[in-house]
Amino acid sequence: MTEPILSIQELNKNFGGVVATKDFSLDIYKNQIVGLIGPNGAGKTTIFNILTGIYQPTSGSVKFMGEDMIGLKPFQIAQSGIARTFQTIRLFKQLSALENVIIACHQDCTYNVFSAVTRLGKFKSIEKAVRDRAHELLEIVGLHDDAYRIAGDLPYGYQRRLEIARALAIHPRLLLLDEPAAGMNSEESNDLCKFVFDLHEKFDLTIFMIEHHMDVVIKLCDVVTVLNFGQTICRGTSDQVTCDPRVIEAYLGEEMK
Amino acid sequence: MAGYYEGLFILVGINIIAVLGVSILTGFTRLFSFGNAGFMAIGAYTGAILSKELNTPLVISIIGGMIMAGFIAFLLGKITLGLKGDYFLIATLGFGESIRVIIENMQSVTGGARGYSGIPMKTNIWVVIISVVIAVWIAWNLLHSKIGRNFQAIREQEMAADAIGIDSAKYKNYAFVISAMFAAWAGVLFAHYFSFIVPIMFNLVKSSEMTITVVIGGLGSLTGSIIATTILTLLPELARAAAEYRMLAYGVAVVLIVTLRPSGLMGYREFSFKKTVAWIKNVFNRKKTSSPEEEENA
Amino acid sequence: MIWQQLVNGISVGSIYALMATGYALIYSLLGFSNWAHGDIGMIGAYIGFFSLATFNLPVWLALIVAVAGAGLVSVISERLAYRRIRNNNSPTMFLMIAAMGVSITLQNFVLVTVGSKFKTYPQILPVKAISVGGIYIGMLDLISFSVSLLVILFLYFLIERTKFGLAVKAAASDMQVASLLGINVDKYIGLVFLLAGSLAGVSGVLLGMKYTVYPQLGNFALKAFIASVFGGLGSVPGAIVGALFIGIMEVFVAGYVSAGLRDLFTFTLLIAVLVIRPTGLFGKDIQDKA
Repeated sequence: MTEPILSIQELNKNFGGVVATKDFSLDIYKNQIVGLIGPNGAGKTTIFNILTGIYQPTSGSVKFMGEDMIGLKPFQIAQSGIARTFQTIRLFKQLSALENVIIACHQDCTYNVFSAVTRLGKFKSIEKAVRDRAHELLEIVGLHDDAYRIAGDLPYGYQRRLEIARALAIHPRLLLLDEPAAGMNSEESNDLCKFVFDLHEKFDLTIFMIEHHMDVVIKLCDVVTVLNFGQTICRGTSDQVTCDPRVIEAYLGEEMK
Repeated sequence: MAGYYEGLFILVGINIIAVLGVSILTGFTRLFSFGNAGFMAIGAYTGAILSKELNTPLVISIIGGMIMAGFIAFLLGKITLGLKGDYFLIATLGFGESIRVIIENMQSVTGGARGYSGIPMKTNIWVVIISVVIAVWIAWNLLHSKIGRNFQAIREQEMAADAIGIDSAKYKNYAFVISAMFAAWAGVLFAHYFSFIVPIMFNLVKSSEMTITVVIGGLGSLTGSIIATTILTLLPELARAAAEYRMLAYGVAVVLIVTLRPSGLMGYREFSFKKTVAWIKNVFNRKKTSSPEEEENA
Repeated sequence: MIWQQLVNGISVGSIYALMATGYALIYSLLGFSNWAHGDIGMIGAYIGFFSLATFNLPVWLALIVAVAGAGLVSVISERLAYRRIRNNNSPTMFLMIAAMGVSITLQNFVLVTVGSKFKTYPQILPVKAISVGGIYIGMLDLISFSVSLLVILFLYFLIERTKFGLAVKAAASDMQVASLLGINVDKYIGLVFLLAGSLAGVSGVLLGMKYTVYPQLGNFALKAFIASVFGGLGSVPGAIVGALFIGIMEVFVAGYVSAGLRDLFTFTLLIAVLVIRPTGLFGKDIQDKA
């Protein structure tokens, strides 16, 4: 039995008197696509924020590829191989799509300050390689023609793709997607499913996603965890979960007798 | 002293170097600081003391001033860069004023409030031209590299910058230290031009003027900062006759620009011949295109 | 001796507190540092001076005119400068830059029209100091403290106990929602600026009486900013506590250490506080939500 790539144990988070997360545990294995669903305010993004170091948990542990992630700063967690997208798109809006991805390739820019200022040494070759890679990534997400458009001017669906391209640029092993299908209609979310699945194959990714669109969850996710008021109320395959009465009650309220 | 126009030119050059630093800090990393005149003072006094007491050549004085300012900026940054916007601002303001007070109280070394005189007049027009060229070259190259891009990422969306692995605390400190070193450079040149420096020359008004200049030139545009500095340094001199009214006009101008054209002179863009030509063509063709030439300026 | 210093400190601090209150009001509402706040006070000081010295108005009238004048200038500055920036959705820092522009404009307007000579307020208060248990309290200091206290209490009552105050708090909390609830946000912002300007006007007159009137009188507001940061930006009680603290500390440092190092102590203390509590003593910890 292989080790889980991400192991969350007994995660708790309190904000003052409010319990946002209670005893959350989850193991995610390599190449799985895991879904996290639940009504609004259930604490899903809180968990993502803890995983990426934005919040410190009140108690509990997170191990990624065997390494402890609690206490690390967000940039360190990103450098370890966990990438994320945000619920509200946080692109570098004033910069072009290409620049957004180039910035994300900063870890590949291994030249030092002296080289950057004088342009001697490895600067030029590294910059070119990074630029090429950024173009490649944009092509993979289907934004090749929009490389020079200002990110803030792109249509919403394209912005989402750009955010994902940017996340892919940091060579992640685990990709956290926070409501990737938000604001999309059924056709667009269909495209998104295919898109995410292709990336999953191509980049050998493990994906953990928060989503409200049940059709996306059903199509993509191997395993689904359901959260309500910060607690896990159900876990299983999409079929199991969607039929579970507790889940139905959480979303729709008590079943009408 | 050099001729009147030469003097103006030198002044413009010195201001440009100082403002370049603030441009990197504020325009590209969105850190507002009202303490950079303090770093100018540190540079000026360090360089002046080195030149006068130890007879060092100008280059060594400049480097000495820059190292001193950079080091202090590094320490101050470590303490204060974790603070949010307005808090950081007041902390830098406090720092700038504190430096002034400290210098005033170190009479034996700095001459205190009466000033430090007898600085060898080594700043001439050639020194300034070379300095400005080098400073712009450094700033430009820095901004068009990973380092500058990280600054902009932090400016645009710090949380996203963190999420893609950028150590925002480290890079904010870089920006702060770099701006301090540019300010110090300008300070050393300043000291070696006027031959006499007094703490009140490096006060809050000077710091805030530098920030205002960057805003007027356009946050995120080096060329904007350079143009704005030139205009704002020359204008008061050219309108000398109406001396009292010039500050009044300056105040009104600041309000007008920030309310009517907040993106400043250049907005987020840099000046480029290719783009200007392309723009003129566009105006005649009435067609909107985006061009790969923009890539060269990225 | 210590008690005397303490009394002096509280007296100075109460004027700072008054100024800090107006500044904190605007910060809590619009989230920006009004750099022109002190200069509005300066305008009030000048209006008061001219009302008394040139127009020979009775004291009570002169003061009302001064305070109203300052309030008016404050409202006008909001209308002309800040409102448009707000409507443009420009970042808040631009409001601060605009305020700096307003500050420079006001200072130089006075320089150009009235000139830079210091003006001394006519003696409207008895010169003698009263003595309480061996401690001397100048009439001016007593009046400053009393006026500041009264005004601050009045403000508290206004904000906490009236519908106006409720509307202001709502708008400060969330402008969009407040306007959806039918609150005319523009009008309330204007009223808050009127209020803040009037507070500045009172401080300006008190400062003018204590220190003479000159165009750069507004620089005292710097203490108000520091007090506000110290106490936590956006918190009016914090600003008051901060201001009193600074006033007392200034007097003690000037008395026991050195007058020249006074500001250095203030700034060092400020940085020390910020290191321990990055949002000031009573500041709100606003965490960016992902």
